[in-house]
Order: sequence, then structure tokens, then C-alpha cells
Amino acid sequence: MEKLPLGLVIDLNQVVPYKTGSWRTLMPVNIMQVPPCTHACPAGNDIRGFLRVLAEKEDYEEAWHVLARTNPLPATCGRVCPHPCEAGCNRRDFDSSVAINCSERRVGDYGLEHNLEHKKLVSGRKEKIAVVGSGPAGLSCAFHLAKRGFKVKIFEAYGEPGGWMRYGIPPYRLPNYILKQEIDNILRLGIDLECNVKVGVNIPLDQLTREYNAVFLGVGAQKGLGIDVPGKDADNVYTGVDFLKQVNSGKWMEIGKDVVVIGGGNTAMDCARVSKRLGANVSVVYRRTRMEMPAITAEIDEAMEERIMFRYHTNPVKLVTDEGRVVGIFSIQMELKEPDASGRARPVPITGSEAFIPADTVIMATGQAVDYDGIDVQTVDNQWMYTNEHLMTSMEGVFAGGDAVAGLETVALAIGQGTQAASAIEDYIEGNVESNLAQPPVVYSRDLNTYYYNKQKQFNKEAVSIHTRLKNFREIYPSFDLKDIIEESKRCFSCGLCFHCGNCYMYCPDSAVKISPSTGGYEFDLDFCKGCGLCAKECPCHYIQLTLEK
Amino acid sequence: MEQSAEELNKIEKKDLFTSGHRACGGCGQALAARLVADASGENTIACVATGCLEVFSSPYPDPSWRIPFLHSLFENAAAVASGVEAAYKALNKGPVNIIAQGGDGSTADIGFQCMSGMFERGHNVLYVCYDNEAYMNTGVQRSSFTPLGARTSTTPMGNKTRKKNMPLLAADHGIPYVATATVDDFRDLQRKVKTALSIEGPKYIHILAPCPLGWGHHGELSVQICRLAKDTGIFPIYEIVDGKVTNVLKIPVKVPVEEYLKLQGRFKHLFKKGQPTPEVAEIQEIANQNIARFNL
Amino acid sequence: MLKQIEGSRAVAECVAMCRPNVISAYPITPQTHIVEDLAMIVGQGKLDAEFINVESEFAAASVVLGASAAGARAYSATSSQGLLLMCEVIYCIAGMRLPIVLTCANRAISAPLSIWNDQQDSMAMRDAGWIQLHAEDNQEASDLHIQAFKIAEQTSLPVMVCMDGFILTHAYEPVDIPEPKQVDDFLPPFLPKNIVDPRSPKGIGLFADPRFYLETRYILHRAMEKSEETIKEVSADFAKTFGRNSGGFIKTYKLEDADLVIVSMGSVVGTIKELIDRMEEEGKKVGLVQICSYRPFPRHEIYNVLKDKMNIVVLEKSISLGRGGILASDVRWSFPRAEKKDRNISSFIAGLGGRNIPMDDLRYMVEKVEKEPVELEFLGLKNELISEKDL
Repeated sequence: MEKLPLGLVIDLNQVVPYKTGSWRTLMPVNIMQVPPCTHACPAGNDIRGFLRVLAEKEDYEEAWHVLARTNPLPATCGRVCPHPCEAGCNRRDFDSSVAINCSERRVGDYGLEHNLEHKKLVSGRKEKIAVVGSGPAGLSCAFHLAKRGFKVKIFEAYGEPGGWMRYGIPPYRLPNYILKQEIDNILRLGIDLECNVKVGVNIPLDQLTREYNAVFLGVGAQKGLGIDVPGKDADNVYTGVDFLKQVNSGKWMEIGKDVVVIGGGNTAMDCARVSKRLGANVSVVYRRTRMEMPAITAEIDEAMEERIMFRYHTNPVKLVTDEGRVVGIFSIQMELKEPDASGRARPVPITGSEAFIPADTVIMATGQAVDYDGIDVQTVDNQWMYTNEHLMTSMEGVFAGGDAVAGLETVALAIGQGTQAASAIEDYIEGNVESNLAQPPVVYSRDLNTYYYNKQKQFNKEAVSIHTRLKNFREIYPSFDLKDIIEESKRCFSCGLCFHCGNCYMYCPDSAVKISPSTGGYEFDLDFCKGCGLCAKECPCHYIQLTLEK
Repeated sequence: MEQSAEELNKIEKKDLFTSGHRACGGCGQALAARLVADASGENTIACVATGCLEVFSSPYPDPSWRIPFLHSLFENAAAVASGVEAAYKALNKGPVNIIAQGGDGSTADIGFQCMSGMFERGHNVLYVCYDNEAYMNTGVQRSSFTPLGARTSTTPMGNKTRKKNMPLLAADHGIPYVATATVDDFRDLQRKVKTALSIEGPKYIHILAPCPLGWGHHGELSVQICRLAKDTGIFPIYEIVDGKVTNVLKIPVKVPVEEYLKLQGRFKHLFKKGQPTPEVAEIQEIANQNIARFNL
Repeated sequence: MLKQIEGSRAVAECVAMCRPNVISAYPITPQTHIVEDLAMIVGQGKLDAEFINVESEFAAASVVLGASAAGARAYSATSSQGLLLMCEVIYCIAGMRLPIVLTCANRAISAPLSIWNDQQDSMAMRDAGWIQLHAEDNQEASDLHIQAFKIAEQTSLPVMVCMDGFILTHAYEPVDIPEPKQVDDFLPPFLPKNIVDPRSPKGIGLFADPRFYLETRYILHRAMEKSEETIKEVSADFAKTFGRNSGGFIKTYKLEDADLVIVSMGSVVGTIKELIDRMEEEGKKVGLVQICSYRPFPRHEIYNVLKDKMNIVVLEKSISLGRGGILASDVRWSFPRAEKKDRNISSFIAGLGGRNIPMDDLRYMVEKVEKEPVELEFLGLKNELISEKDL
């Protein structure tokens, strides 16, 4: 043992610190968790990841690559996605959610403006996969498979790729050039595309199953369904699908002065707004109320802004025709009773409430179905395709995803299923048994210490005036400023992942939080940590948690 | 030593008071001592009074200080610091930051005389009081900083007196700088230490440093409790520069004192079956007076 | 240079020549002219030092503690209640091995309040780990301060120079005040061992748990014992430089053939010497052992000079209440158990609270112990003032 120094005076530079780690019963750990935005995103986008890159590095290129890991269509999704991520955003309980959708759009656009390219993870695999349909599901599946080195060929029934995004969504929401660029970028991974080939009609499905190691069906739900009322077969009656397809194919439609759109979904909104841009007075006729409308809220809002008339509780009884053309509809008022099987209030007619609504064109956006022509797979309730948990249909080696499987859903969901199918196809080809790893827990508002966040207004995208926007089919939201989006990204709470606020480092009374020389991140020095939990409590984003000492 | 606003606002982490001390988990005083030492920097001498801080941070052979540390007794940190300052003057050494520091007992009770003497004589010393509102090292006995209602081992039925207002007493010595701070806002705390050290003459900084053991809260709440002490008006944050109260921290949203009291075991007896006893209203009144007095 | 000078002034001038860097004192309980004179010397610019007027003796001791720990040669002076108020710091200074020099102008302690001389104050500090040197007269008091700094700094032990209050401090006597140059040659500049300095951070005043505390006390005790050599060396050195004997461990007077030996310390020694001379004329052989270093206690010296003397009387100006003479007890302890048997060591307490010790009383004491040993007696006690019921 050391001799006692004179007066017990010690050279402080020579002190070997006493280790207090043994006092600990609880131990802090860094646990990366799933933020609610990603949890809510059907495409599984790393939203926190790309926002942190923007906030910390202001690096749009890296942010684009973060997004493109899961989603090859950020500029598209940034325009058309109803962004459930924002509904999930923990910031909503604090002031308002982060404008994730706008941020995604700006990052996607940046990628296009700067010709950023996807990177292959693996190359040179021999196996071939046929993808049927070039909508979001097909593109996503093809994208992920191509990145993993498979030889992919897409068969598209129409003249141009994009599926419903190309032929359904009107250009004022999603300009064609944006979609085209994103698709071209995907195809640049070496994906073959053959258009105007309708699988099941022009080429039998079993030919694909023979020639390819696997097939993915991303055929969508592009058969428009009308309602069965007298007069439905008149010339100037369209299904929503047909109407949009024709307009989006560049065909000029003579629709007259008054247009009645029947339905309350997104297709109905698109039809109504397109008709408005074609110069008509538009009424939307819907059996229930706005509350029950399945369309995206923003779409309804924008439609209303554009002075489209909404007739709620209104049900068409018959289409009044004159010389084979509809001149108007007879409708009856409905009242809402107890919910039906869909969970929505059941509309019941009120006797004697019939009314006549004049119409030069009637568009029935009242439902869509899968076109099973030549595709003989098992279905669920005669409606959507059946798949097992790996998205494989009843046919061996044939996988499916998107609207054909999930029903009328979002682009993001289709992308998510395409991604999932790509993994499933890889596992199928490689003979892997897919393991279901436990997902990390999701961080919710109650887990956060929001003291450290400042209230800040959400980025607000500005639409062009109604007057201007109704004159053409141009996008109604002009591009956003890069700086504004950087500012917006700084509002991200970074739920469940360290954003280097330094609280743990500064607050640890034992200086037991150190900066890792290798990663530059914070790490716990368990030789000294007493497990008091101050770091976890003051961690704004719930990245630090206490666990039982091992 | 004029410093730019940027330097004053810079957060310092140098671990000049570091790991290995024997404080309880979540100790507010250990945290405060590190923030103060790091803000003062290497060119500093710490003259520490006997007390929790000294006992947990300076056992032979492994003290936690990395700046020169001098301790002798409970009540004389200010006088010892005066002596150190006099020696540096006499020997023409320096400049050096000299910081006398102690708990509330060694500041406001037994050490009050030495501190008052140091202020009055005008030594160029910063006195830092780590206020944990009782004699914690010896088993949580009442001090003149123990607030109304708080239960300590010598006020088992709750303290009947109000807390001594040390910052104002210090300021009335006519010293150039007085400030209050809490450990939750380390930037503010360190700025005040740096500001104080840039001023010639005696300075006083009063830091609220929660004691999990004595206050009866879990260590993880030490920072949150400070925040509530501020937001209730119980512990006003301000500076007194040349006798003028300034930089008063406004309370963004005023919180009832219950929120603060309920987190701490020492105030548990003030709530019978969840209902506040009349003392709570009295404590609220103290907070209200602070709010009115400092325009919080 | 020989000067007719007040004791306090002489001490102040000698202390100033030792060039302390920091002086701190408190005036009231009670103080001597020493610090007033030093304040003047500093004020006139004759000494480059910080003079800190504090709010209590406690603070004065704390200030010199801090100053010493920061590398300054530090000095204070006090007495009586002031010393008692310093008590906590006094112990601390020794434990921290800080070479501080302090003058104790010995005076009585309360209650009742008395401002006059005895030695109960320094006696109360005898176990603190300070070297205590007692001066016989103002010349020795002055000389001892010069020696004290040297002893303190060589041993890393604090030194308390004790001189009887009023009797010495306020008395005008001729004192040979040395030249500053002589003092500078004798006393090298202070080279502190451990100081608080950011350039080499040290921890001073650490907490010792039961694994270490016992050893620190043992070390301090042994250091006190070992300081004997330094005290003797410095005294011898002083004699060489200044040409007179001052300090050291003990001094003897007409001891050789003495039948009876008085042991005492402080200014009363002067009166005792006079008595011895007178009694010598009367044919009585009385000797004196004068204790200069009370702590460390010169046990072996006393044994060596007194081992053949069978009749010893200890005269002291202090008392351990409920026990008796403190010095007497120390002297009795100086003899091995076997040699105590037939040796008479009497104990007399005198002069408490400034009571005069007249020659007659001393003569009475000598004559009494010639006849029989006295366990304990208060010299000059006025029995007529004492009510039996209060005892």
C-alpha cells in the first residue's frame, strides 16, 4: 500500500477514481425504438432518419437516399399520400405534427432535380422475376428485387407505366413528369419494361410462371363499378375509373355544363375536380355525410374550396334520359340509421323526398374491382386476391400486393406491400424460412420529455389561388423552399433515437456518460453509473431507458 | 476579464469534478458542483466547507476534484478562501478563480459569519451555496434554509418557519454580483458562474440542489423538481448586479405549488387523503409573494 | 540594537522581520498591541504583507490556514477566549501540517471574565498538535518568534509562542532587536511543501475513513516528538547567529547541588530565580528547571536533569479542573514508574486570573515542600472568600 502523504495531501492528477458502478440496481441502456410516424407509414419509411439528416446535416442528398431505401417514389408519395405518419406524429400532442409529407416531397424533388440514382445492393443474380403491373406495388417490388440483383421484367397493360398513379391521379395532384422521372429512375436499376401487354389476355399467366422464377401481381383495382339504376348505360354516363383514365390519357372530354359525380371516395373527388377544370358545374352526390366519406380529408377540403357542390344524404334513384343521353338524375334524400357491416351509418330513404338534379354528364365513382381477366387465382369474397402471410397467392410462386390484395388503398400501402413481396420472393427463391423478428416498441407521446422541445409553427404549404388553379391541370402546390423544409425538419422530436441533445451527458451527476471516441455518440460508463435514472428521465426522446441490472 | 456573450453561454464539460464520488444517485449537489467546477475552468481553487459535498467528494485517497481543493472545517470556507486570496495577492500570484462553496448550513447558519466577513472585506472570491434545504450529511436536520412545512429529522411535524432569504442578505452586503440558479438549467447556471468570475470582488451564487434522500424523491426527478421549484415561484431565478435585481426568469406557465410538493416525501404529510392541509395554502402564499416581489 | 520597548512592540518588530505574507487577527477577546503594531508596520509599507482584519478569531485562524495552504508565510496572534474560539481551526491547522506561527499572549479564560494573565488558554490547546514554546521574558519572546517560523517550516508543524499577557506583553524592558539582515540570513524564505495551485492541482484537507485516521494521528504524534531535534538545532543556530541563548527544550538554574528543584515556565521564572539567589545567600540549595518547549514535552530532558533530585515542586499558572496541576502531571509522568517511589513531586497552582505571585508566597512554597510533599495547593488562596457550601 501507498505510504500516507504529508498532511494527507494528494496530487489530483494521480487519483485513480473509486468505482461506484457496483451500487447500481438499474442500468441505463440506449434503445433505438420505432417512431410512431414510421409505425404508421404503410411503406415503412425511415421518416425520423431523413428528417434528422436534414436537421443535423442539411444534406438533401443523404436524406433522399434514406427515403429511397424503402420508397422509390418519394416525390410521388410526397404529393399523393394521405400521410398517416403525420397523424401518428407525437408532435401532434405538443403543437402540430411535423409536415412530413411536404418534407418528403421536397426531398423527392431534390432527388429528381439532381438526378440522384438508386444504388444496387447486390448484382448479377440469375433468377428472373416477372412483375405484372407498374403501379406503386409493382414498381416497389421490382425496385427492391432489382436492388438485390434479380433480373426483373415488368409487364404493363397500358401504354405508359405508373398504373393508377399515371391514369387515375390527375396531374394537378401528381404531374406526369414527376412520376415519369421517378419511374425512369427505378428502371435504371436494369429493370425491363414491356407496355401494352395485358397478362392473362395478351400473354397467359402460366407462361410467366414457367419462364420466371416468380411472378408478382400488382394489377390494382381498375375496373370501375357503377350503381345499378335505370339509365346507367346512357352514353354520357361514365365510371370514375374510365373517366379519369380517358382524361389522364390526354383525351378531351365533352362533359357539358352540369356534371354529377356519384360517390364519396378519392376517385369521386378526382372526377369532380377534373370536371371542374374542364369547365363544368359539379355536384357530388353522396348517400351519407362528409363524416363517412372515405376520401382523403384534404381532397374534400380542396374540392370544396374549388366550389364543388356536395349533396349529402342523397341517393340517385334513376338517371333521367332523353334520346339515349342522361339529362339529370332523380334522387331521394336519405337518413342515417344504425351502422352497417362497413361500420358506417346505414342510409335509409325518406319517402317523398325525391328531387331532380340536371346533368350533362354523370360519373359513377362508386366502387372499383380487380380485373381478373385471365388471372385465375383464389379470391376473398369474390373481391380481392387471396394471399398468405408472405403475400403468395393460391398459385405457387405467384405473389400479389397493392390494391388488388388490400382493396382501395394508398400508394404508400402498395409500396409497402411491394417491398414486403420482394423480400418474400427472395426468401422463396433462396428457400429461406422467413423469420418474424420482434419489432422494437413504438414511442408514444407519454414516453417523451417534451420540456426540451420548443413550440414552433408547422410548415404550411401554400396552394395557388382557386382562380388560377381551376384554369389548368397544373399542380396546385408549387415547390417548397429548401430552407423552409430544413427548418421544418428541426421540429422532428426524433422519437426513440438520440439526437445528441447532450442532456444525459450534462445531467449525469456521476459524469458516467461519456462521448464515445469511435462513434462520437454518448455511451454509459458502467464503472461509475449509479443507475439513478436522471439520464433516462431527462432524455427527451426516450432513447435512454432503465433496465434491471444484469 | 470581459467575456463575450458567446463565451458566457457556452456549455462547459471538462469533468474537473468527476466520477467516483460517493453521492447518492441523482444527487443535485454533485451535479451542481460539477457544473460549477467546469464553468470555472482549470484555473480555479475550490475551498469547500465540510458537508455532504466534501464528504462524498474528497475521501482519501480518491477525491473527485481535478482542480485544487482545500477543505478544513464546516463553517470557515469563506474565511479560508479569504486567506487563499490574500496569499495570492501577497505573493503576487494569479489571477486565479477562488470559489468558496458549501451547503445551506455552512452558508446560512454556522458559516454565515465567515461569509459575511468575506463579503464585507471585499475579497475577490465567488461564494457558491448548494442549497438542499437541510443538513443532509448528518441525517436531514433542519437548517435556516428548510422551507415551511418540510419534514426533517428535527422537525418531524413539519418545519414551522420560513426559509432565510440568503441571496438578498448577500446582496445587502453591497457586493457586485448575486445570482440564483438551479441544476436543471445548466447553461444558465454556468453562465452565471462565468459572469461572477469575470467580476472583481465578492460574489454570491445560490444554487438549488435537490437531495433525493432528504427530500424524499427518486434521484431521476432531481432535475424535474428544480423546474417545478421555478415554475411554481418557490425558487425565483434572478441576478442582482450592483444592487439591482435583473434578468428575472419569467415563469412561462405558473404551476400550483402542489405539483412541486407532491413529488417530495418531505411534504407528504401536507396532503391528508390526497387533500391539501392549510399549510399548502400558506406555501402557495409564499410562492405568490415571490411572484409579486420579483414579477416572475 | 538594544531598545527600551514594550513587549508587544518587540514581538511585532521581530515578526515583521520574518516577513510573513499574510497576517490576520481579531482585536477584542482580548488582543495585545502586537497586531496593532504589525498593522502599522504594514500600513507604513515597511512590511509587504496582507493584513486581514476579520470578524472573529475563528476567521483569523481560518484566514491564516487558507493563506498557508496557498503558500504564504502566515501569522496571527490571540489569547484567552480568542484562542478558545480558534480551537477548531487550531486542531485543523496541525492536522493539515501547515507551518503557521501564532502568538498566544497567555491570559485567563471565562467565566468569570478576566483579562489578566495565566496560562489556562494555551494549556487548553496543548493536545492539538502545535509546538508550544514559552518565553521567560520579552527578549526570549522576541527571539522565539524568529525561531518559531524556522521550526514550523522545517517540521511542517504549527508553532504557538506563549508569552504571559500583560506581564510581558505590556511591559517595557530592554530588548535586543536584531537587524533585518541577520534575520534574513537566519530564516530562509518559505518553501511550502503542498499548496493549492492550479498548475499542479492538489487535494488538501481530505476526509480519512477508519482505515487511515489512526495512522495520521500516529504520524502527527511522532512528528511532534521528533521536532525536539529541530527545536534544539534552531535554538543552537540562533545562539550562533545572534550570540545569545533563547528557546531550546529546557533551561536550568543552579541545579547542580540543589536539594530542592522548582519546575516552572513563563515569566514567573524570573521571580523564582531571584528567590533562588536569595535562598542561596541564606544557605539553602534550591534549583530551577525552566521549561521552554511545553509541547513537545521535554520528558527525557527532565528525567536526565532531575533523576537524582528527590524533592521537586512544580509551579504553574494553569489547572486541569478536577484533576490538578497539568505541568505537575507531565513532570510526574517523566519518571519511570520504579523511580517515582521515594521522589516527592509537589504541585502548586498560582497566579490564576492575574493574581500576583509575590516572593513571600514562593518562599512559603519552598519551605513547605522542604518539610513535606504537597499533592496540590493553590498558592495565595484567600480562604476567607470561600464558602464551604459552594464546593
